[in-house]
Amino acid sequence: MKALLYGVIIVGIVPVQSVLLPHLTLWGVKPDLGVVAVCLIGLISGELDGLLVGVAVGWALSLFSAQDVLTGAMLKGGLGFVAGLAGRQMVYLSPLVLVLGLLVVSCLVGLVTPVVLKLSPQQDLWWAVWNVALPQACLDAVIGGAIYWLMWSQFNIEQLMSESRM
Amino acid sequence: MWMVNLRVTSNARRVALVLAVVLILGFLLLPGQLQSVFQGVGGPLGWIISWPLSAVAGVHDRIAGVWGGYVALQGMEEENRQLKRELELLKEQNVQLRESAAATERLATLLEFKKQALPSLIAAQVIGRDTGNWYKTIILDKGASDGVLPDQGVITPAGVVGRIVKTTASTAVVLLVTDPNNAIAGLIQRTRDEGIVEGTTQGQARLKYIPLLSGARPGDRVVTSGLVEGFPRGLAIGTITRIDKEEEALFQSAELTPEVDPSRIEEVLVIQSSLAPTEKERLSMPRHKP
Repeated sequence: MKALLYGVIIVGIVPVQSVLLPHLTLWGVKPDLGVVAVCLIGLISGELDGLLVGVAVGWALSLFSAQDVLTGAMLKGGLGFVAGLAGRQMVYLSPLVLVLGLLVVSCLVGLVTPVVLKLSPQQDLWWAVWNVALPQACLDAVIGGAIYWLMWSQFNIEQLMSESRM
Repeated sequence: MWMVNLRVTSNARRVALVLAVVLILGFLLLPGQLQSVFQGVGGPLGWIISWPLSAVAGVHDRIAGVWGGYVALQGMEEENRQLKRELELLKEQNVQLRESAAATERLATLLEFKKQALPSLIAAQVIGRDTGNWYKTIILDKGASDGVLPDQGVITPAGVVGRIVKTTASTAVVLLVTDPNNAIAGLIQRTRDEGIVEGTTQGQARLKYIPLLSGARPGDRVVTSGLVEGFPRGLAIGTITRIDKEEEALFQSAELTPEVDPSRIEEVLVIQSSLAPTEKERLSMPRHKP
């Protein structure tokens, strides 16, 4: 069941990200559902799931972008792993804390990415912060918060997280 | 409330840690090898993903088509009148161009130029945009199995769109001419000055390294110079809107408005092979003795 869910996320995230999300942009920037999905999976299911799904999601998304495949896989995999580690340290995670956490994490990923990708000199750190990282982090936080809130109302999230930490 | 068991044992934690360390070491020590492994094994993954991607793009296009068709009806009469006016103008230009073509043919014969064959083109449809926010790309519904390969040029009848940077079996990613990470050799049509066309972060393009003595001015058209692989000479890139000349600089640069609006592209042509020699090849050819 879990593997099927992960498979659907990995395969389904590319069409959503490349066909549907360009219509849902903030100052020309679309949310990165990969970041949201990997963070949530890492937080709820732990480091291994976060790492593996992160690598697969990053890899799949990079195949349909000009982005370097290895960098994409490593960034998302690392994010999933760190989210898993963070999830293990938390006893209780409210949607508000998750929104703030996603905002910070997405911002940090947005700052690291242009450095790792070695983009054009025009796309410097200042440009990256104001034109991509911040708008993307806001969108990621809102979407992640909404998904988590939905899960919160449907599942027993605390129990899921405590089981995963056992 | 639903309950799902997502228990992670301490064994899984150890596996995750080992995997993370292996991946980080691979990334730091063997980036090239790991990159080719990911790219190579990514073929089947890309093929699987291309199915839902094409399906979602098809549904999206149908909805957009119905919506666009309905909205287009609102201004149809005015558009029809405008198109008729443009048709008259184009007819007149066509006559002039026929005359010029005939004259060029006579001159080419005189100069013993070889007759150049047109490059072979593959028509492709745009099915998506970049999955991230760092690059400006479009995704095409044709890939390696159709003969589309990295570094091939992509055009529309209006002008240059970009360059193929990545392919899977059935899709290809095109880095647009407006992306700051793209560079195409360009030529100002009127003055014959060469330069490099780069995208800008504002979604426009810029012609760099124009000689200081160049007489380029706003309104001049920039075309491909044929110096790099992928694009034959003479394809329209854009029109100069502003010249930037800095004091003590060795070169001047120009801001361009691209001929093709990347946000509205639906179909493109991939330049598969160019039988016509590029400028570089032409210059390296031995000259015919008289």
